[in-house]
Amino acid sequence: MSPPGVCGGNDALRGVGIGLRARHYREFLDSRPRVDWLEVHSENYFGQGGYDLHVLEQARADYPISLHGVALSLGSADGLREAHLAKLKRLVDRIEPALVSEHLCWGAFGPRHFNDLLPLPYTRAARDQIVAHITQVQEILQRPILVENVSSYLQFRASEIPEFDFLAEVADRSGCGILLDVNNLYVNSVNHGFDPADALHAIPAHAVSEIHLAGHSAAGDLLIDDHGSRVAPEVWDLYVAACSCLGPVPTLVEWDTHLPPLEVLLDEAAMAARISEREYA
Amino acid sequence: MRELAELQGRFGSALDARDSETGALEMFVGDFAQIRHRLDIYRGNTTASTHKALEAAYPVIARIVGTEFFSGLAREYRLRFPSHDGDLNEYGEFFAAFLADFAPAHELPYLPDVARLEWHVHCAHYAADVAPFDAARLASVPLERQLELRPLLHPACAVLHSTYPLARLWQVHQDTFGGEFEVDFSRGPGHALVLRPGFKVEVALINDAEAAFLAAAHGGATLVAALSAAQSRGALFDLGRSLASWVESSVIVDFSLQRI
Repeated sequence: MSPPGVCGGNDALRGVGIGLRARHYREFLDSRPRVDWLEVHSENYFGQGGYDLHVLEQARADYPISLHGVALSLGSADGLREAHLAKLKRLVDRIEPALVSEHLCWGAFGPRHFNDLLPLPYTRAARDQIVAHITQVQEILQRPILVENVSSYLQFRASEIPEFDFLAEVADRSGCGILLDVNNLYVNSVNHGFDPADALHAIPAHAVSEIHLAGHSAAGDLLIDDHGSRVAPEVWDLYVAACSCLGPVPTLVEWDTHLPPLEVLLDEAAMAARISEREYA
Repeated sequence: MRELAELQGRFGSALDARDSETGALEMFVGDFAQIRHRLDIYRGNTTASTHKALEAAYPVIARIVGTEFFSGLAREYRLRFPSHDGDLNEYGEFFAAFLADFAPAHELPYLPDVARLEWHVHCAHYAADVAPFDAARLASVPLERQLELRPLLHPACAVLHSTYPLARLWQVHQDTFGGEFEVDFSRGPGHALVLRPGFKVEVALINDAEAAFLAAAHGGATLVAALSAAQSRGALFDLGRSLASWVESSVIVDFSLQRI
């Protein structure tokens, strides 16, 4: 059902990237480490100018860039926020990134923005709504985007479709690519009690254009997706399974809280590279 | 879409106030105790996002009042001015007005003015970039017309007046400040200039005449009009030296014969 050529994300990037955060700017620019590409949070570059954009433009000269949004709120029941979309458009035009991605979630409703990735009910109505919004974004940006599965702590009773079937249907109907966050998949499989292998089989391999890896922490019976530690052994195992199931997919290591020295991030990226090379050898 | 709107409305109300979560509990899978606990995690996330954003925009206020008091301010501010934007760099715009109105903060009466300055500093960080000053273009203007030129200020620049030594308060609370930690509150009113030479935002103390000149320039005045505004303030003002220094520090980024 996807229009031909819309899901071309697989060619946009290769290998393993890291998330670039402000705390690492100086060290990164001084050392220019060997990493295949970089991802940044789009909203951190929504200004008209200044140091952050300057750093991003410098990095862009040497590395492919992926712009990863966290607050567009694709799943809002009351439409997309046009000012936000206009800022994203301005940034995409300025940076001309290899990839643009967002989340399968909502964060804004009415006058409020909750500045978090809140789960959707996996209903046909919600699916149609988010498909309409993704289509709108892709028309405005004049390019396909990737949409990422989020971690969640609550599930709606109203849900009619398993999460990863929902994601597959959204990708199929909107022509967007899938950003598979393996850590989020693992976190949800524990929090909501399902087999992550089933999810890997539910998503269409051809649509998966990027993989995310990150650390999580445990709080009682719940796993919290806090991006504050090394990738857990169980998540590496699931990454091995994803690699063999999906074929070569550009992979990103993310770290957002308790940022370690840059070398730790690069070390995690090297681990991901070893696994993916071994799986495709 | 009514159902989705209904679910998001109830979810949102539950995040905004624990008192309103009863109406949301039945929407989720699990027992109520578990759901309440998990709603708390989301509530914590959304609170932490705005708290972090406020602290990033107001590091000097956070240093002056300390972590604990600042947390209280962030909590109270969020109740009165909840976030309505996914761009968290826009969050915190009304903090100065909030502090002026918030009784527990009145013990430090200069806080609203510091907040006003910090918001300008925050905005200056994200202001548009400007091409370097082109002296050759200025040389092409005939000498007899040069006083008709209008100085153009960098979009990051702002001049603030305060009854407190605002620039000094800001400077001594910077990470990089190495001097004597001393603020002389008896100095009387003063002006603080926010500027961004390169990409680093700075705050400088300026006198009445300099402030009058820059305010006039900001309003589109010609050099001769801005100069007369400065001279009317009585304070010492050396046009040549001021212009050279402001061009050097990117306060003035261009001159134009047209009104901009």
